[in-house]
Amino acid sequence: MALLEIKNLHASVAGREILKGITLTLDGGEVHAVMGPNGTGKSTLSNVVAGREGYNVTAGEVLLDGQDMLIMSADARARAGLFLAFQYPVEIPGVSTSAFLKTAINAKRRAQGQPEIDAMEFLKLVKEKTKILDMPYDMIRRALNVGFSGGEKKRGEVLQMILLEPRVAILDETDSGLDIDALKVVSEGVNGLRGPDRTFLVITHYQRLLDYIVPDHVHVLTGGRIVASGGKELAKELEAEGYAKYLDAAA
Amino acid sequence: MTSPGLLDHPFRDQYASRLGALPGAAHAWLDGLRQGALTALDAGLPGPTEEVWRFTSLRALAKVPFIPAAAADDVDITEVPHGVPSIVGSARVVLVNGIFRGDLSDTDFGDGVSVRDMHSVLAASDDNVRQVLGSLAPPKSSPLVALNTAYMADGVAIHVATGTRAAKAIHIVSIGAAGAEPAAFHPRAVVIAAAGSSLTMIESHVGLPGQPYFSNPVTEVAVGEKAQVRRYVNVAEDDDAFHLATTAVGISKAGTYDAFHVGLGGRLVRQDVEVKFTGEGASARVNGAYALTGHSHHDYTTFMDHSVPSCTSDQVFKGVVDGKSHGVYQGRILVARDAQKTDARQLHKALFLSHGPQVDCKPELEIYADDVQCAHGAATGEIDPDHLFYLTSRGIDPDTARSLLVEGFLADAVAQIKDSEIRNLFTADIGAWLKRRDIRSASS
Repeated sequence: MALLEIKNLHASVAGREILKGITLTLDGGEVHAVMGPNGTGKSTLSNVVAGREGYNVTAGEVLLDGQDMLIMSADARARAGLFLAFQYPVEIPGVSTSAFLKTAINAKRRAQGQPEIDAMEFLKLVKEKTKILDMPYDMIRRALNVGFSGGEKKRGEVLQMILLEPRVAILDETDSGLDIDALKVVSEGVNGLRGPDRTFLVITHYQRLLDYIVPDHVHVLTGGRIVASGGKELAKELEAEGYAKYLDAAA
Repeated sequence: MTSPGLLDHPFRDQYASRLGALPGAAHAWLDGLRQGALTALDAGLPGPTEEVWRFTSLRALAKVPFIPAAAADDVDITEVPHGVPSIVGSARVVLVNGIFRGDLSDTDFGDGVSVRDMHSVLAASDDNVRQVLGSLAPPKSSPLVALNTAYMADGVAIHVATGTRAAKAIHIVSIGAAGAEPAAFHPRAVVIAAAGSSLTMIESHVGLPGQPYFSNPVTEVAVGEKAQVRRYVNVAEDDDAFHLATTAVGISKAGTYDAFHVGLGGRLVRQDVEVKFTGEGASARVNGAYALTGHSHHDYTTFMDHSVPSCTSDQVFKGVVDGKSHGVYQGRILVARDAQKTDARQLHKALFLSHGPQVDCKPELEIYADDVQCAHGAATGEIDPDHLFYLTSRGIDPDTARSLLVEGFLADAVAQIKDSEIRNLFTADIGAWLKRRDIRSASS
């Protein structure tokens, strides 16, 4: 059974249909890239799968290990193993990063019937993982994302992903706002998590990220539909030739 | 002429006759001050037609048949309630119903620091205190100050000598408790930080359940040249209590006053804070956080009186409101013509946890100088759905996420407290309060 199945997904916002029948099948161990120009539904796809409010799913299914995600709340989906790395992580003043991380880790542990993480174990774990991402450890003392640079926010997203060990990770434009060094670090963090029990959906506008997180499959999303799928060479082709021919096809 | 005030209030002849002897009655200046206050009180308690009392009604207070706490001989407090923290590095002063309790208070406050009960200070007509008492907060400044001045019998007088950095923070614990009848008390505090001195004070205002009590403290703080006063006030009165406090601060040249007010309890709470800048280069920070539920009403009214140049005032107040509560912030800033280079800022933010509460915010800037920086801001809103989604998308259930966000909203205000121990203490108080009131289960 596929790890994540998106079947004929239709979704609209304020009466306007954005997703017009998306079908994607992600098996364990795979990295799928979804590429496309701005305004074609890439972020809508990630938000709908993650369970953000404000989207009306009019048809289709999203199954994680065969479990229907669309009837579950966002927090239940996350506990079931779904993770969305945000394009624009929000700044939340007053909420410390460490309290947030600990609460999230414990929510997952409780759902799995495990005991809560103790304070020492938590600090050790965070210390180890921040090192991998070349982040200052004391950033967990700061308020969540507040005053973080674009790169720090994206590293923060990947740190959360590493700590929460999801089954399905969706990376929404994780490369935007990253310089090349940060891009490498973030990609290494992601690559370190690749494994047979996990799958990645990498949403991006540019091919650059895919030099570092090499996909098994590349899909082109325009006009709310997947208009082409291929191997990693499709990303190279898009980089060279642009989306023009697919835009024409969609129109 | 008809008075706009509430003339029919409990603090009239019958109340006065049960007070007992007031200290220092033989001193003409003190007697004159009290008589002047009684005359000012003839106008009654402030009524709704007075602009600064538009959002806060004292009708409920005026209806309670209070007796002077001094006459409540059925109240017997022999220890500080367990909820009041012991603060490391501080010396404690305990007031029960406004009466200084030497038996419950510490005696060693460190070199250069004098802490005395106001009863004996008034009886002895102390010269230092006399210079400040009634001058920063004259009876005519407000009916509540008049009420306090007319009936003040005790409280605390603090003096920090020139150049002294007080080694210990002074923790004033005010405990309110009524017996069979509702009781009122009017503690007076005078704090004098002489030139170049520094002092940290903490106030915990708590009380026992039972008949309602009314705490009416007036605190006058004289900050000397280059002196520094930090003051952290935690109002966690009983649910049925009334707490109407007035603070009047005068800051000399290059002095600083740094205050934080937390409001977590009390049926009707008003904190009036007036800061007068009397010397150039002085600065004041007056910040606060409140959390209200049920029918609580909290009012934070400030007045930054910039009459001299180059002074700074900064205010940030944040409140969380739920149930049928009512929060009020009124911030007045006056910049006189000569007060060039003034930097005055204020910000009030309120977070609604349901549709029941009410919040009124009234900034009032009167600026007569032309070379100044003044800013005010106000925002009210509900929990940001983007914040909530971010937290829930990490597997945190919505109730827990909401409680993290509410705590965070207030923690962001508390973060302005410079002393880390007090900051942690107030943060913990707020967290405990939110848990106790089950704010976390409040849904939008």
